[in-house]
Amino acid sequence: MKTKILLAALATALTATAHAQVKVEDAIKWRQSAYATMGWSMARIDSNLKGTYNKEEVLKAATVLQAIANSGMGSLYLPGSDKGKGWVDTRVKPAFFTEGAKVGKIAGEFNQAANDLAKAAATGDAAAVKTAFGAVGGTCKSCHDDYRAK
Amino acid sequence: MSETRKILIWDLPTRLFHWLLVLAIVALVVTGKAGGSWMEWHGRLGLLVLGLLVFRLLWGVMGSTYARFAGFFPTPAKVAAYLRGQWHAPGHNPLGACSVLALLAVPLFQALTGLVANDDIAFVGPLYDLVGRDLSNLATRWHLLAVNVLLALVALHVAAILFYAHIKKDNLVKPMVLGWKDSAHGESARGGGWIAFVVALALAVLAVYGASGAWLPEPPPPAAVETPAW
Repeated sequence: MKTKILLAALATALTATAHAQVKVEDAIKWRQSAYATMGWSMARIDSNLKGTYNKEEVLKAATVLQAIANSGMGSLYLPGSDKGKGWVDTRVKPAFFTEGAKVGKIAGEFNQAANDLAKAAATGDAAAVKTAFGAVGGTCKSCHDDYRAK
Repeated sequence: MSETRKILIWDLPTRLFHWLLVLAIVALVVTGKAGGSWMEWHGRLGLLVLGLLVFRLLWGVMGSTYARFAGFFPTPAKVAAYLRGQWHAPGHNPLGACSVLALLAVPLFQALTGLVANDDIAFVGPLYDLVGRDLSNLATRWHLLAVNVLLALVALHVAAILFYAHIKKDNLVKPMVLGWKDSAHGESARGGGWIAFVVALALAVLAVYGASGAWLPEPPPPAAVETPAW
């Protein structure tokens, strides 16, 4: 029991250190890379829905989306990362950092939608994937609309 | 005041254009704001609007009397005369004509920028491949900003119609539905026959075909590209 508590404390300490060590520039780069990778996955699913549907291909892409959605990307939105350059200048709006509850709600909806999409992709039901895919796109948009500079 | 009689102001193609544009713009605003899977319809409706506008631009040359740009093109002198109350002619008044031109120009701008825009999620306009990402992002930015201008113009348009109906006691909606208006001045619209209609429609369809990107070469089949199996 003591060991467990000790390990837990150590883990917490390590996490805290890890956070403190992330440079703003890296955080923005990783954010942008994650979104680009999600863009790849969205495009992949989209082309499967519009052309020949390949269950394996869609499942791979949906799994990537689900993994990134559940990766805790919020931790990359460090204080001070509202401005700055990763691969390119960040387009996040200052409101993203002050409207935590609203952003968190959208993030939760995105996670849910990505999980649903992965479930649908596992069944191979193209119609269900199309619906779930639309829902994911909707959550992307609700954040883009409010928190990304045009 | 001389006697009034019934004259034809808006020919049928002009009226159909107007109300189809109204429906399409409402649907475009809704689908655009909804996003996600609705973007597919947003793209289709955008092409429809482009076709409608091309038709209207041609109809402004080939259509009947009051639909012609040459007849209602506003100049500062005409607008000033209208504001002094010295304008009495059927059709678009000089101030209204400014509104008409703006309500054609902004949707045209939206249709053209939309052709190469992207939603950064899963939708790209049909001619996206022709311009590349940077230009597409720029077009998207303008597309998203100009929608506010469009909404403001529509609000002004509706407010002006209410102003005419309640303050000036002039019902502008009825002629846009039925085509006819009781007027003391002017004569019924002439011109814009079947041949003009068919030609304008054919050219509009051709424009939509061009904008749809259906003529773009198909992307090479996936089999032609070899990538590692992992």
